[in-house]
Amino acid sequence: MDEKVPRSNIIETEIPMGTVHPAALEPYRVRFFVEDEIVQEAEITIGVNHRGIERIMEGLPVEKANSLTEKICGICSNSHIWNSCRTAEIGLGIEIPERANYIRVIMGELERLHSHFLYLAHGCEVLSHETFSMRVFYLREIVMELLAMIGGNRVQYGCSVLGGVRPRCDLDEAKLLRLKEDMDKLEEGLTGFVERFINDSIVMSRITGIGVLPQKQAIELAVTGPTLRATGVARDLRTTMFEYDDFDFNVITQPDGDVKSNLVMRALESFESIKIIRQAIANIPEGKIVNRDWEMFDTDIIESYIEVPRGTLYHSYALESGRVRHCIIRTPSMANIGAMQYACIGDQITDAQLCIVQCDPCFTCTDRAIEIIRR
Amino acid sequence: MFSNTVIYSILAAIITILVCFIISTLLPGIERKYIHARIQQRIGPIVIAPGIMAPIKFMFKENVKVESPVPGLYKVLPIICFIVVMCLLIALTPQAFAIPALSSLVAIVGLLKVEEICYVLMGALSKSVMSVRMPFPDQIKGAVHNNATRSFIEDISSRRSLRMITYGSFPLYLALFAPVTQARSIFLEEIVAYQQVHGPFLFTVSGAIAAIVFFIGYMIILNEYPFSIIKAKCDVIEGPYMEYASKYRTIVYLTRGFFMMVLGALFSVLFLGIPPLITSWSILIVVLVSLVLVFMMGILSAFSPVFTNRQLLPTILGTTLLGILSIVLGLL
Repeated sequence: MDEKVPRSNIIETEIPMGTVHPAALEPYRVRFFVEDEIVQEAEITIGVNHRGIERIMEGLPVEKANSLTEKICGICSNSHIWNSCRTAEIGLGIEIPERANYIRVIMGELERLHSHFLYLAHGCEVLSHETFSMRVFYLREIVMELLAMIGGNRVQYGCSVLGGVRPRCDLDEAKLLRLKEDMDKLEEGLTGFVERFINDSIVMSRITGIGVLPQKQAIELAVTGPTLRATGVARDLRTTMFEYDDFDFNVITQPDGDVKSNLVMRALESFESIKIIRQAIANIPEGKIVNRDWEMFDTDIIESYIEVPRGTLYHSYALESGRVRHCIIRTPSMANIGAMQYACIGDQITDAQLCIVQCDPCFTCTDRAIEIIRR
Repeated sequence: MFSNTVIYSILAAIITILVCFIISTLLPGIERKYIHARIQQRIGPIVIAPGIMAPIKFMFKENVKVESPVPGLYKVLPIICFIVVMCLLIALTPQAFAIPALSSLVAIVGLLKVEEICYVLMGALSKSVMSVRMPFPDQIKGAVHNNATRSFIEDISSRRSLRMITYGSFPLYLALFAPVTQARSIFLEEIVAYQQVHGPFLFTVSGAIAAIVFFIGYMIILNEYPFSIIKAKCDVIEGPYMEYASKYRTIVYLTRGFFMMVLGALFSVLFLGIPPLITSWSILIVVLVSLVLVFMMGILSAFSPVFTNRQLLPTILGTTLLGILSIVLGLL
């Protein structure tokens, strides 16, 4: 795929959209520079939803700070608390019980499923295909109920704590059985949906070759996660995370970097998540779920990267008298904003929001980096 | 005697309009409750909610100040649309056959064109808060192209409406003229009379093809998915209707349902030879035709994404060719 070059010299009009727009799940401003309804350049601005969570975390006891990270995102809340706990665990050298690791992986993969299903449903909605959108939402409902069963809530589960998982998130036989049954149900439903989706010629004509992000450009823009894998780069941090050592799964890639590749890739990745959950159910070890045998001490800056549904999530902070210092959190959408702007170029303005959505934006959790220029 | 006939005709036309209008308020609800919701396996709204309850609710809402360069004209446009649809229905009633200038296909096409031009004007005159006027500092230092002309999203909608006038609604007009090839007249009275003698035009090869073309055109003129480019949620949102609130939105809602009904009646006149005659049981066939068209439209729209120009152009081209084929077959 050739590189797309913004043609700034022929810009006819600017069409701004947002911060409130029905095609956008979150508040962001996008300025489309168009020539006869063809986008020549796009510029995304965020900053509406800045909540200063890192600033609030400064000086909080690490356990409280960990709980606060869960509030960063309504979709990948578990990923944030997992990575935040993981950061402290790396710094303090806390060993995690095997069973707790398995439960964290199950929660992580369930969250990936619900995030990918939300993505597919939202993608279909931006395509204005409400029927497909509703069908994916019904599938997602199975996952949401499972998350509520384990975590007690549909959004904020509070699963990870320092040294393991919370006691209420332990999985007994009944819960494991329900998980197993629902995975079968989910796989059947997802297979049906994917078959219908990829055989729908009208939908395919709308998404094939739209919002193309060439592989070279994706690497240059430091794109991460499924959006990168949809350009053919097999890079998934789960392959290097010790939590996933016991699990066998494939890193799914798609070749074209367009909307179709992105949607299909996430659907196929959902099957891999089901596979991982099944392995976890089958091999979950007995034993304790939390290690309380650790001591607090001051640490230098600790860093932790994990693969979350949208890409690579970075958490870092130092510990001082059990309190958090110099906290930095970077979410995958931060890296993918460049890709969103780039993907729109050359496509019709009707497709522009779809091109942004294909990169799975989560601007509310991204909205934390702020640069104050003092004059 | 003559004055009695005139009074009777006027009364019949008024009752026809009233009956059709009342039935038309149920059509959007039927589409959403019994088609979209059923296909999408959800409960859906109460059947009277979209067509009756929503307009009543909006009627009593406080109006907002319309942001438009010509607010007076912008506010009067939905009323014009409603009147146009009403005139269309009057033109289809047998009582209006006595006025050839009104009950001819030329008048029908003219009225439909007025409806389409209203969309262009609505789009051009609407300046909602959803794009340029949103108070969000995006042209800050470091932002690109700070000198480009800024456009409202409704402007795109207006340009698209213009495009639909030039070629988008062409299939519908071809389908309207297909029965003329058989009846050899542009007057509805003669088209109906021809079909009452020779059987419905729909049951000929030319008529069946023209009916398909009519159906596509029906969806295009009603701005229904997948042809709703002038009010696509993914970019222009509500498009021309964006600034309408309160009573004006009530009229927009009522007009849409009424337009569905009237287009059904138009199909009934042109393809079955059955005009909406209130004193005859044949009015039920008109209602049935309207319902069938709504059902078909609901099914197609539930399974289609919105088209962009890339899909719209070939679809319209293909449908236009079908329309031409039906006319050629009719002439043979």
